[in-house]
Amino acid sequence: MDENRPLPLKEVEQLVELVRESGVGEIRVRQGETEISVKARAEVLPPANQVPSGTLGVPDVIESEPSPEMDGLHAVRSPVVGTFYRAPAPGEDAYVEVGDTVSAGQTLCIVEAMKLMNEIVADVSGEIVEVLAENAGGVEYDQPLFYLRPAAR
Amino acid sequence: MISKVLVANRGEIALRIIRACRELGVRSVAVYSTADRESLHHELADESVCIGPPPAASSYLNVPAIISAAELTGAEAVHPGYGFLAENARFAEICERVGLSFVGPASGTIARMGDKAEARKAAAEAGVPVTPGSDGPCESVDEVKRVGAEVGYPLVVKASAGGGGKGMRVAEAEAEVEAAYLGASREAGANFGDGSVYVEKYLERLRHVEVQILADSHGETVTFPERDCSIQRRYQKLIEESPAPGLPGDVRDGLMAASADLVGSLGYEGAGTVEFVYADGEFYFIEMNTRLQVEHPVTEMICGVDIVAEQLKVVSGERLEIPEDALSPDGHAIEFRINAEDPLRNFLPQAGLVEVYNPPGGPGVRVDSHLYAGYRVPPHYDSLLAKLIVHARDRGASIRRGLRALDEFAVSGMETTLPLHLAVLEDEEFRRGGVTTRFLKDRELKSEGGLLRLVQHFS
Repeated sequence: MDENRPLPLKEVEQLVELVRESGVGEIRVRQGETEISVKARAEVLPPANQVPSGTLGVPDVIESEPSPEMDGLHAVRSPVVGTFYRAPAPGEDAYVEVGDTVSAGQTLCIVEAMKLMNEIVADVSGEIVEVLAENAGGVEYDQPLFYLRPAAR
Repeated sequence: MISKVLVANRGEIALRIIRACRELGVRSVAVYSTADRESLHHELADESVCIGPPPAASSYLNVPAIISAAELTGAEAVHPGYGFLAENARFAEICERVGLSFVGPASGTIARMGDKAEARKAAAEAGVPVTPGSDGPCESVDEVKRVGAEVGYPLVVKASAGGGGKGMRVAEAEAEVEAAYLGASREAGANFGDGSVYVEKYLERLRHVEVQILADSHGETVTFPERDCSIQRRYQKLIEESPAPGLPGDVRDGLMAASADLVGSLGYEGAGTVEFVYADGEFYFIEMNTRLQVEHPVTEMICGVDIVAEQLKVVSGERLEIPEDALSPDGHAIEFRINAEDPLRNFLPQAGLVEVYNPPGGPGVRVDSHLYAGYRVPPHYDSLLAKLIVHARDRGASIRRGLRALDEFAVSGMETTLPLHLAVLEDEEFRRGGVTTRFLKDRELKSEGGLLRLVQHFS
């Protein structure tokens, strides 16, 4: 890297934001001589018995037990209060099953609020690792619905 | 009795309602925003549902989220507390439509009393004295001038949809009418989305007195002895007491009778408050609040009633259970609103970590608060931290008890209105009683040796 050039702090900031938003483990970019690599802290294993403080990709969650999100998993959360449905209609197949690979934008479930069917989509691509809510059960705002393992890029 | 109530509020009032539910054996459901994950109402309710992010518009005012939370938890009724959705006729109507009982009057009554010009009309029709002024909304500057010629100046132009002093302008003489009319109308449009205004004679030296009422679906209406809420800052009440000091008995009877007449004419159900101004021996209706009020504990202390419990009985279709002697007040009560505001920095709102919280106790002291040591006051909501209510055999003893309790009250981590209340209680004129709503406006706060003192300025 050319020592006379200022550090590309703005670019780094944008990358940190991108890592945070996408939920991916690492982003590496190269332009000419400059290479920037941003890694999510989730990849660093926390020391034993220490409760992790916050997870990248998740805003300010207060949880006492260590969350699977520390293993690089990404939680898809409910944006509304309502009833969780895994299938588009009773008797039909679930939108997704554990083990399915989904792409960002794909519908994962429905949360019904006041007769309105809100389709909840994956915000990142990856594999469904766990379904966290019960079909036809109530979910609250910000409640995790699925754990996804983000696809490696 | 209904079996489950959703409490659509936060802070001390949510706790107040949850406590009443628990004593009645009614299950409670709290709703909370992500900023209130550590709040006591979320902890103390039987169930709780997170309804949205911190901004009130996305959480405590989020009607679909609150209705969904009620449906998911199987709540039969929604108690809106005060503020937020408490006087939102549309919300009450949605509750009615989805089969949820709204703790309050019918949506039509909320809408009618929410329109201040319409409320004035309803009061006048019920034979309740209203301040001389226009019969309904004023459509033009000329119309305001006509009213001015009739009732005299100064006049006050007020927003029909208003409240809290917003959309209000005073015209001292006819020359100021145009500016006052246009200013009030513009502000009303900006704040309430409705620019319509009405006009009243402006009474400068007045006291704010109000009558608590409760009405059930069996035709029984109870009116309680008045509260005096004249200690205000920018139309926000700070201290409320009952009975109103020095109020003649015939005025009290008149206030209670007028309130009963208005409530009777509305076919009202639930708790409500009829507000009046009182000046030179006369009282005039200003507005009716169709909800539980912040200062309801003052009445509870001197009358020995539980207003929230009675609300829950009414919404269950049961009869009011007010003891006979509740209407002859026992002693005197004063409420102090402890707000997270810095009195020495123009009441700048405070937020942050409550380091020490040690509320007062002992005889005749009640504290309604959601605080605890270690609680973080979020910056998103109103600044009320606690209500201190003192009760004693007469006003003098209440003031002494108030001084003692305020002095004991320890909150650290932020500035509060505690020292202001101490200064008010030390004021000679306040001690004599019967001060007007100009009390704080006429005084300046001085800091002396760590204490605050009020100094009257003469203009």
